[in-house]
Amino acid sequence: MTSISILRAGPLTTLQDAGRFGMLKHGISSSGPMDRGAFAAAGALLACPGSTGIEFTRAGLSFRAEDALRVATGGGHFQLAVNGEARAWGFELQLRRGDVVDITPGVAGNYGYLRLEREIDVPLLLGSRSTNVAVGLGGFKGRALRAGDQLALAEAGSAAAAFGPTAPSDGPIRVLWGLHADLFDATARQAFVNSPFPISPSLDRMGVRLVDAARIFLGQRRLTLVSDAIVPGDIQILGDGTPIVLMRDHQPIGGYPRIATIVSADLDRFAQLRPGAEVHFRPVTLEHAQ
Amino acid sequence: MSHRHLKPTLLPLGDQALLIRYGDSLSDSANLAAVAMARRLEARPLAGVSEVAPGLVSVLLTLSPGTDFSRLRGELMMMADHDEEAPTSTEWPVPIVFDGEDLGNVAAQLHLSEQEFIARHNGVPLRVLATGFAPGFVYCGFHGDDLVVPRRDAVRPLVPAGTVLFAAGQTAIAATPIRTGWHVIGRTAFHNFDPAADPPTRLRAGDRVLFSAAS
Repeated sequence: MTSISILRAGPLTTLQDAGRFGMLKHGISSSGPMDRGAFAAAGALLACPGSTGIEFTRAGLSFRAEDALRVATGGGHFQLAVNGEARAWGFELQLRRGDVVDITPGVAGNYGYLRLEREIDVPLLLGSRSTNVAVGLGGFKGRALRAGDQLALAEAGSAAAAFGPTAPSDGPIRVLWGLHADLFDATARQAFVNSPFPISPSLDRMGVRLVDAARIFLGQRRLTLVSDAIVPGDIQILGDGTPIVLMRDHQPIGGYPRIATIVSADLDRFAQLRPGAEVHFRPVTLEHAQ
Repeated sequence: MSHRHLKPTLLPLGDQALLIRYGDSLSDSANLAAVAMARRLEARPLAGVSEVAPGLVSVLLTLSPGTDFSRLRGELMMMADHDEEAPTSTEWPVPIVFDGEDLGNVAAQLHLSEQEFIARHNGVPLRVLATGFAPGFVYCGFHGDDLVVPRRDAVRPLVPAGTVLFAAGQTAIAATPIRTGWHVIGRTAFHNFDPAADPPTRLRAGDRVLFSAAS
C-alpha cells in the first residue's frame, strides 16, 4: 500500500475533510478546514481528489512520497520545494517515488493545504475524517500530525466538487449583529464598527483572540447569560473585555455575550489573517450576507 | 402546560443558522418548549434545514447556503403555534460516587451535611435540559430553590470524563475531559459519549435521570 511519511510538521497540522456535520446535538462542532475555499480550490486542481487533505500552519510541512502520487497545494502563500528545487505555490504536482516535498513559511496566511489524488486511509469517525483538536477526535488517531507519522493512502478520490465564487479578497470583514448585540450600548457598538482590532498571537482552530486596542469592552458590566448555541464566526466578549472569534473547532454552546458574527463568505479570509494584522468589521444585512 | 403559549423569537445566527429562542433566561417552560420544538423538527424535517440541535432555551437550525429565511420563518411560526403533547422520555439510572473535591464546600454553602446534601440531590429525578458545551456533556435540571449555588470563581483545569458537576440549580455530567467552573461533587461510570457508537450519545434532551449514591 502506498503512503506518505511525515518528516516535519508544524504545530497543529491536522487531517481535515469538508467537516463533521449533523453532530451538534451530541455536542460536537463540525470542524473542517479553517479556510474552506482554499481547501476546495486546491482539491479542484486535481481530477479526483481524496475527500481528506492535510491542513498545516505557518511553519509548514515536509513529507516524502513513498510511491508516485499526484498532489496539489493551496491556501495562504508558502514556499514550496521538491527535492530542494523551488516550485510554484498553489498548483498541482506529480511526485515520483521518494520525492521529498518541503513547505516552509511564506509571505501570507496561517493555513495551507495539501490535497492528494488518493484517499487518506484513516477511519471515518461520525461521518468524517476531520480532526477535532479541541476534543481529540477523528483524523489521525485524534491528534495533530508529527514527524515520523506514516499516512497510508487508499483508492483514488472522486471527481472534484464544483467550486463556488470566491469572496472579496480585501476590505472590511463583514458581520451580522449577533445574538447579544442589543446588550451592548450604542457607543460600544459604534466603536466596534469604527475601531481596528489587531489579531493577537493567540489563535488556533478553536478561536482567534483579538486585541481590544481602543478598550471598548474594558469594564463593560459582566452579564450572566443563559448558555446558547455558538456558530463559527461568532465574536464573543470575555469577562475581561477580550474579543474572541470562535472558529471551526468551537464549543457548541457558550455563555459569553456575542456582539456579532462574521459572515460565512468572509470567515476563510479572516482565518488567514496573521497576528498583528488589523481587522475592521462592517455590519451588513442578512440579505447581503447570503 | 405553560409552554403551549410561549412564542419563540427567531434570530439569525450569522447567515447560515437560525435560532428559535423561547427566552433569554433559563426556565422550565422555555426548556420544555425548545425540546418539544426540536422533536417536531426532527420528525418533520423542513427544506433547507441541515441540522436541528436543541439547547437550554432554544433550538439551533443550521441551514443550507441560500436558504430563504423569510419562507423558513413562516413555516416555523406555524409549527410553533401547535399545542404540545409532552415528549416521550427514557429514564436513566445514574449512580454517582460522591467524592468530589467541592462536595464539602457545596454542602457547607447550603448549610447541609454532606449526607443531607446527597439525599436531597438524589431525591427527585431531573430532566436532561440539553447536550452541548462538549461531546455528550449534559445539563440536568432543575433542583429545588434549596439547592442553588453559584459557579466557582476559578476555572478548574481538565476534569476527567464522568465527572459530576453542580451549579446554578443543575447537575451536569462531563463525558470527555473538560475545563470547568462548576463544583466537582463526584463521578459516575455512566458514559454518555462513545464516538464508535451510532448515535454517539445516549441521553437525549427531555430524558429523565435518576441519581443514586453508588455503593
